[in-house]
Amino acid sequence: MALLGVLCLVALVAPLLATELPWLSRGEAGLTSPALRRWAGLETTGGGTRLLSAPVAHDPAALDLQAVLSAPSPANWLGTDVLGRDMAARLIHGSRVSLSVGLLSALFALVLGIPLGAWAGYRGGWADAAVSRTIETALCFPTLLIALMLLAAAPSWLAGISDVLRVALVLGVTGWVPVARYLRGEFIKLKRSDMVTAARALGVGHGRIMVRHILPCSLAPVLVTAAFAVGAAIAVEAALSFLGLGVRPPVSTWGGLLADAQEHVDRAWWLALFPGMALFLAVLGCNVLGEGVRDLLDPRHRG
Amino acid sequence: MSRVVLRRLASGLGTLFLVTVLVFLLIRLSAGDPLTVGPDEPGIRRLSAETRAELARFYHLDQPLHRQYLLWLGDAVRGDLGISLRDRRPVSAKIGERVGITLALNMVSLALTVLLAVPLGAAAALRPGSRLDRLAAAGTYALYAIPVFWAALLLQILFAVHLDWLPLAGLHSDGSRALGPLARLADQAAHMVLPVICLTYGGLAYVSRFVRATLIDNAAGDELRAARARGLSEWSALIRHGFRQASIPLLTLAGFLLPALVGGSVIVETIFSIPGLGKLFVDAAFQRDLPVMLGLTLLSGAATLLGIVFADVAYAVADPRVRRE
Repeated sequence: MALLGVLCLVALVAPLLATELPWLSRGEAGLTSPALRRWAGLETTGGGTRLLSAPVAHDPAALDLQAVLSAPSPANWLGTDVLGRDMAARLIHGSRVSLSVGLLSALFALVLGIPLGAWAGYRGGWADAAVSRTIETALCFPTLLIALMLLAAAPSWLAGISDVLRVALVLGVTGWVPVARYLRGEFIKLKRSDMVTAARALGVGHGRIMVRHILPCSLAPVLVTAAFAVGAAIAVEAALSFLGLGVRPPVSTWGGLLADAQEHVDRAWWLALFPGMALFLAVLGCNVLGEGVRDLLDPRHRG
Repeated sequence: MSRVVLRRLASGLGTLFLVTVLVFLLIRLSAGDPLTVGPDEPGIRRLSAETRAELARFYHLDQPLHRQYLLWLGDAVRGDLGISLRDRRPVSAKIGERVGITLALNMVSLALTVLLAVPLGAAAALRPGSRLDRLAAAGTYALYAIPVFWAALLLQILFAVHLDWLPLAGLHSDGSRALGPLARLADQAAHMVLPVICLTYGGLAYVSRFVRATLIDNAAGDELRAARARGLSEWSALIRHGFRQASIPLLTLAGFLLPALVGGSVIVETIFSIPGLGKLFVDAAFQRDLPVMLGLTLLSGAATLLGIVFADVAYAVADPRVRRE
């Protein structure tokens, strides 16, 4: 879990952690922080003496054709790629994409899945049948296949928005199924509970029961599903970027870094090791988080 | 056949129908039609209006959408999945020449997964909470989190580049045709080692944990207690009675592993340049070859659905309690 927290932090301040701009420099106007200014979107003025540099003092997009494909060294902690770009910087900036796609797609999946699952579970009857058929249909297709197809054949209006948003949307549209399935089960279970019977007897309307009574009880386990969904989304986004249909260059993504690594698999092992390690840790962190929350909520599942 | 089984088959057919509709809509509504997308599009634009109208009639584009769907479905059922936009060959032919390879890879890795994970899960179930149990859990858990393409790359770097024990990619070495049949088989097997490993390790966690949980759930049952009271050792009691009860839920695994295998195939085949269905799909996606994508998706969806329905029916046949519902 701490891993995930670190990851979020890194993603947020990536442009601060890995940038050529100095953290502190003394110019005519006294002490300034150009890096901080760029992160906040303000103008930066060159000049001044560099006092303190960022931990990774490279720009992810800066080419250095003298140091192409160099192994990890004190100058480039994780080596450089085929254009001389520092791998550590690209890795840090790539975390932004992975994390934003992961979180956004989980959000979309929740927004889609919670109402559908709740309605199906509570209503029963044809609503349940319809949603269950849809869930079963969606389960037949692997996420990657559908995502590939949607991204490859995207209509024009979908192509206009940013890559990250598009991938997150596609993953959300494919990811609502586990959420809905789980919530449907919970609602079916809780529909028969005494609490609901009492509320109906008191004359509380169906909608109010669903939202104010059943939903809060069932929401906590949904977070477990959401945690796993984030992990899965990160993995699928990386796969899509690896294949070239996800977030595209020049934005650095972990999947994209691994795709570059593929071409130089015989010469530069560091290109493959570190982005994959980052992906592995991110997905592992999400899964651990999910399991941790699950154990917290349901003692039966422990061990 | 009992009513439950029939009902399940009927609902399966209904879902299959939904699957076909979904696949058709996905492609048609999102991309348009073969005339506006695809590798021929620039050329088509330069044709005269009459020729374009002819093409539209050929692809049934002048019909309303639901008629197009029915026409497409009719063709598909008869095995005609359309013509690939890229090389004008029938989609079913392209699929046919690659299905064997993908099937072989997936079946081998499925068998390997079961062979490895079931004993692992059983051993863990025998001594829950022990070091073996926790080690197996942590190990398979970690394996599950490893992205397939990373594992593939690392395996390639280690075994193919540095150690040179195994070939890097493809299914045959150059000049393998000159070898005798046995040597060729060995060569092909060597090429399959790394891809199969990549397809297998991910499923280990799920299957072994599933086996373990099922066996533990059943271990508290009366049958097992009676067996133990009769003097059977822990191990044979678990195997003889636990497994018989656990084999039924194990069948349902097939339905869930299949989509994962199909998805995994896509990546593995692309990395190892194996001419299978997964690579065909990715290539089609890049070339906007809609008929091929459509055909493949339909095939994979139908196959998975069949697997799920079969598992459910087998469950109902094996367990009389389900049938009595």
